[in-house]
Amino acid sequence: MPLLDIQNMTVEFGEVSSPFRAVDGLSLTVNEGEVVGIVGESGSGKSVSSLATMGLVAYPGRVTADRMHFAGQDLQAMSSRKRRKLTGSEIAMIFQEPMTSLNPCFTVGWQIMEALKIHEGGGRAERRERAEDLLRLVGIPDPGRRLTAFPHQMSGGMSQRVMIAMALACNPRLLIADEPTTALDVTIQAQIMDLLLDLQQQRGMGMVLITHDLAVVAEAAHRVVVMYAGQVVETGTVPEIFEHPRHPYTQALLASLPENSVGRNRLQTLPGVVPGAYDRPHGCLLHPRCPYSQRHCREEQPQLFGEGPFRHRCFYPLDDEGNPTYD
Amino acid sequence: MLGFFIKRLGLVVPAFIGVTVLTFALIHLIPGDPVLMLAGERGIDPERYARLRAELGLDQPLVVQYWNYISGVLQGDLGNSIVTKKPVIDEFLTLFPATIELTICAIIFAVGVGLPAGMLAAVNRGKTLDHAVMATSLTGYSMPIFWWGLLLIILFSVTLGWTPVSGRISVMFWIEPITGFLLIDTILQGNWDAFWSAVHHLVLPAIVLGTIPLAVIARMTRSAMLEVLREDYVRTARAKGVSPKRVIMVHALRNALIPVITVIGLQVGVLLAGAILTETIFSWPGIGKWLVESINRRDYPAIQGGIMLVATVIIMVNLLVDVLYGVVNPRIRHQR
Repeated sequence: MPLLDIQNMTVEFGEVSSPFRAVDGLSLTVNEGEVVGIVGESGSGKSVSSLATMGLVAYPGRVTADRMHFAGQDLQAMSSRKRRKLTGSEIAMIFQEPMTSLNPCFTVGWQIMEALKIHEGGGRAERRERAEDLLRLVGIPDPGRRLTAFPHQMSGGMSQRVMIAMALACNPRLLIADEPTTALDVTIQAQIMDLLLDLQQQRGMGMVLITHDLAVVAEAAHRVVVMYAGQVVETGTVPEIFEHPRHPYTQALLASLPENSVGRNRLQTLPGVVPGAYDRPHGCLLHPRCPYSQRHCREEQPQLFGEGPFRHRCFYPLDDEGNPTYD
Repeated sequence: MLGFFIKRLGLVVPAFIGVTVLTFALIHLIPGDPVLMLAGERGIDPERYARLRAELGLDQPLVVQYWNYISGVLQGDLGNSIVTKKPVIDEFLTLFPATIELTICAIIFAVGVGLPAGMLAAVNRGKTLDHAVMATSLTGYSMPIFWWGLLLIILFSVTLGWTPVSGRISVMFWIEPITGFLLIDTILQGNWDAFWSAVHHLVLPAIVLGTIPLAVIARMTRSAMLEVLREDYVRTARAKGVSPKRVIMVHALRNALIPVITVIGLQVGVLLAGAILTETIFSWPGIGKWLVESINRRDYPAIQGGIMLVATVIIMVNLLVDVLYGVVNPRIRHQR
């Protein structure tokens, strides 16, 4: 039984009659101890789907799914009170912007101890000690003194370490990391990523790693989900996706990596942007930007084809040489 | 923090000079003459008139009068009232507790109702409750104090007979002033009947005076709250599994209070200005009523002294607000 099992999740905003689908039929499973990477451009629905998993999509957003199970428990059927007991303890999340994700009015220690207090109770002194241990765990020097520091007294990297400590406070079984290094300095990025992966392995947590850094995914993840405009366009294992992408969008993402443009004058790009609420094309959502698109692509929306962990949403999937298979 | 404090105090000096010049100029612009007012309807013979004017120093050029006044103020002497001959400072201090009592109760009312109302509106944004709170507060904000006071008197005092029409306490009681605050003095003396009488007299004026600040506080709380609720750290709190109530009451409110406290501080000036009208309507024996009477009698030292003392209070309160700001907001507290 997978730790997280989501089938056909949809998140809608706006009018019920003409909704905007930020996430469109996402299916995602994460096993115990497994790292699943979700990649895609900005606006492809990565963050919204993780917020929906946490139960943090606020009114007027609407979340529906055929199945949303965590460790065998139905997240949709349970009361909001019961679900809150899971969020922050069994399922934890860290965010993109560490500097604004900590409350400026409270000390770091207070914010970590609050998570402990809500989910585990225990005495004040004990909580303090645990918080100190957590800060030590995430590599913050002089943790005892840092407990009384306010967020504005810390750097971005430090803040993200605190966020990680807070997320790990109650030993979660699933950690959702939403672009945990995007807002940080390049030198700090690697440190934070290493810390996260170390902790994930030590504790055998399941992890959803949302990023647009493909290099990180290649290094860290077991499986990859590629999203575009709210839809899953391709899933697969890391070696398979990186060696033989089936979907033109995945191919384009990989081609845009700087290391794949060595010896060229320009980076390879995919012209255009992700369609928004008002300019969603008919047919395949990628077709206006796809170099291989045919008439069929403009007329009909492709389903997810394929078996098991290998899926793609393309009528003319790429072969091992990277050419479309028109038959 | 100390440097910050001294810098703020430095700004107070030009503010004081401005206040004295302005009040002095305005008073002498009003037509009328204190000596003629004192003389009353029967008039006064020119010789005596000239002598009295000379006695009060009113025959000297304005610049000299201003200089005399200022040099007195700098030595802590605000002069004597022309009418009662008593020192202005004594009169002020006798009446001031009544105004303070009224103002504090008005603030308590305004914050006690305005803050929760603004929070409820923000949390129920776009729903009926939000619209109701916002419409009511706009009405309250636009209501002229004197008219609002009269309406309440007609309804609660005249028609329903729940509260007295005017005054601070029933004439049946004589309370020896200890602190000058009737609510406290009656309790100290264990006179509960007098205490309830004082409360009855206080309710309407406090509501009237607190209405405009209430509206301002409610609107400010709502917008500050709405802004804070969109912040990333609120999402973090929810991701920790914090209950919605605690997210609002602890995580959001603390941050939303920062702008609200500034507004409350600014409202103190509005309150003291409003006290002049409210005290006149309710015959409340405070500074506001005294100032109005002094203006009517052209009692120059009383007007000047009174306004300067009121300005002092407003400046002090704003200093206090700046300090409070640091208490709520650690980012200010830690600035060096």
